[in-house]
Amino acid sequence: MWKKLATILLLVFGLAYAQELRVLTHNSFALSKSLIQAFEQESGIKLRFIKGGDAGETLNKAILTKDAPIADVLYGVDNTFLSRALEEDLFIAYASPQVRTLRSELILDPKLRVIPVDYGYVTINYDKEALQGNALPKTLEDLTKPEWAARLVVENPATSSPGLAFLLTTVANFGDPGYLDFWAKLRDGGVKVAKGWSEAYFSDFTRYGGDRPLVVSYTTSPAAEVYFSEGKYQTPPTGNLNVPKAAFFQVEFVGILKGTKNLKAAQKFVDWLLSKKVQEDIPLNMWVYPARRDAALPPVFKYAKIPAHPAKLDPGTIREKRSRWIREWTKVVLQGLSPKEARTQP
Amino acid sequence: MTKRGWTTGSAYALPVYLFLAIAVVYPLAKVLARGVSPEALSVFSDRYLWERLLWSLEYGLAASSLVILLGVPLAYSLRYRFPGREAFLAVAGVPFVMPTIVVATGFLTLLGPRGIVGRDLTGTVFVLLWAAVFYNLGLATRILHGLLARQGEALEAAARTLGASPLRAFFRVTLPLLKSGLWASGGLTFVYTFASFGVPLLLGGYRYATLEVEVYRLLAYELDFPRASALVVWQSAVLALVSLAYLRAQSKLAPSLGEPPVRTLSPRAAWLLGALVWGGTLVLYSPLLALIARSFFGPEGLGLDNYLRLLRPQSSYFSPGLIEATGNTLRFGLASLALALPVGLLYALGVARKSPGLDLFGFFPLLVSPVSLGIGYLLAYPHLRASTWILVLAYATLAYPLLGRTLIPALRGLKPEFLEAAATLGAGAWRRFWRVELPLIRPALAGGMALALASAIGEFGATMILVRPEWATLTVAIYDRLGKPGMANFGEALALSVILMGLSLFLFALVGREGKLG
Repeated sequence: MWKKLATILLLVFGLAYAQELRVLTHNSFALSKSLIQAFEQESGIKLRFIKGGDAGETLNKAILTKDAPIADVLYGVDNTFLSRALEEDLFIAYASPQVRTLRSELILDPKLRVIPVDYGYVTINYDKEALQGNALPKTLEDLTKPEWAARLVVENPATSSPGLAFLLTTVANFGDPGYLDFWAKLRDGGVKVAKGWSEAYFSDFTRYGGDRPLVVSYTTSPAAEVYFSEGKYQTPPTGNLNVPKAAFFQVEFVGILKGTKNLKAAQKFVDWLLSKKVQEDIPLNMWVYPARRDAALPPVFKYAKIPAHPAKLDPGTIREKRSRWIREWTKVVLQGLSPKEARTQP
Repeated sequence: MTKRGWTTGSAYALPVYLFLAIAVVYPLAKVLARGVSPEALSVFSDRYLWERLLWSLEYGLAASSLVILLGVPLAYSLRYRFPGREAFLAVAGVPFVMPTIVVATGFLTLLGPRGIVGRDLTGTVFVLLWAAVFYNLGLATRILHGLLARQGEALEAAARTLGASPLRAFFRVTLPLLKSGLWASGGLTFVYTFASFGVPLLLGGYRYATLEVEVYRLLAYELDFPRASALVVWQSAVLALVSLAYLRAQSKLAPSLGEPPVRTLSPRAAWLLGALVWGGTLVLYSPLLALIARSFFGPEGLGLDNYLRLLRPQSSYFSPGLIEATGNTLRFGLASLALALPVGLLYALGVARKSPGLDLFGFFPLLVSPVSLGIGYLLAYPHLRASTWILVLAYATLAYPLLGRTLIPALRGLKPEFLEAAATLGAGAWRRFWRVELPLIRPALAGGMALALASAIGEFGATMILVRPEWATLTVAIYDRLGKPGMANFGEALALSVILMGLSLFLFALVGREGKLG
């Protein structure tokens, strides 16, 4: 009798609290409530999401707690931080059966310690109304002309992931140390630096009351402007600047953290994240493209243009030089040193 | 007597030290321990960092001078009854809880390149100082108001009887008596301005970055523990020096027992004073008014749509709705207050009973960079990192010093005879506190609780802790909306900010009324 009761109790509570899976993500991670609830009911795994700041901050938090991991799974490492994450040896490789459904060009770690979930592009957006009747910049160099530099707001690459992506765009275009000369000219022309994307977009961009009609944002932002306009706009009020190699390619990954006691559950979660229905839920929640080849895009994504020639940099080179690039950038753009001084001073 | 005072003081101090050890010292030590390296010294030869320090000092000094300049006449006015006096006290605390990016939006709406005023004043020191006064004047006025002592009034009256003009009485009697109050409110403004980084960056750009910006970058993004640790120590040392002056000043404060009596003016004078105070308040807080006005403009045009959309069920698991976010804000605010209340009370009792050193040590949480504390929690308590405990601990840590500092002058003002009389009549320590001290310090307690609550529902701790979607507070909900493009998101963020404003106003009014019952 008691045994039976105990079994029943175990079953009831066992089902309710079968397993808890902790997922560390960056602040922009989002999915539909209904999907998450369906996963929890079907698998008996309770999902606990923990947000750790932006992509860079979140990874750092995982690195700092390597010995006593605060989560089982980490989502949100992107290709700019990939080498760093792999070097820290944070992940357990997992050959998910879903991997073969993904776009192969996104698989940047052949050992599958991290698996791509989505991708997108950082590029310059412009306010159509504010720039009506103006000929738009045609190359990145055009931006250094005073009439454009003074109209541009960028995010600080030291504290923002789109900011870092744009800095890497300039390195991919002008090389190292050429990128510093480009930034020195932008600085002299009056470029504005914001702390992060929210500040740049909602404080400095002309559409929201600022004085900058050019902002570093994502290729999907114009589509989001239509989607979040409650029917006011049928066509986007903003556009991507059509400049070759001005978009930076970003891939976001998921990985199972070493030290997890819930390996099976973690693997199940990764499979689920790559399943067709979750992949199709991603675009309208995070405004990026699903990694799965057969995932359909929502209609509003017709306003998001995929750039023909995005800028790319090798993750290894980024790992090696990222810190120095940011340091030199800070010296030139924020502290007003010349490129030469920035390179030679410690 | 002194000996006994010392021991009882230490008995109160012990739990406070224990709390500090858990909430501040151990986590911070974890950060600093990683930073012990000769590399750390390189920050002192960095010219750029010296410039940042210099600017932080300038900004802190200018802001605190301005706040004093405006706070004194305001606190002075509050001695008189005028229409809207209570409402003013409630309104004065509101800016304290507003997220920086929302305040910046208010300023932009008013003074931005396409602002209502029609002249772009962003990027000027003028706007930065305005913002600093905007954030701190309410706090300073509350302190000054609480400190305008009865003795002061009596002396002033005496001076007047002896033939001094009102002006002369003010300059020769009231002002010298207020001196330590000036230090106290100015000191607190300095501490907050010096360590602020959202506002100067948003409204002024990187030219006006404070030292805290560098701490944030080095710690959260570069994991450069040596240099960051050196900066944290450097910054805390500067703040500790300033605070010493502030704490010394407060220890000499003319003590006041309870709320000074409110004097009645002739109806005409009262209306005039009310008009003056409210006129000034409306100008100072006009960015908030601009924000409220703008929250009614949505993609659909003028109307309540931004607010109504918040009531729709949210399809995303990560976009908290209005009810949920308001509930969380209240829940965490009250839970933090429940922890901050005993700690703050013990801190105040310990300081009033002259426990040596507690004065400065208890103030420590406000002198340490919040970013470094956040990383410290991660290193010290990784298993608790995503639990409610650490969240409440972080909020309470930043809230209790405000509560304690408000209580200290009131406790110091208590006449020992009262307690002695109660003791003679056979009342135990607990009973004496409950029946004699508590009723007497009740107004100060109410004021202190309002400040503590404000710091807990504002964003002070928001950057320190890991966020879980099911815990999202109003502040988190605002930042969530501002994380995606689009007019609807922007409009909802503004509507949520106005609701946060209303909620804090309601809480301040409630606590204020509660205090007056005593």
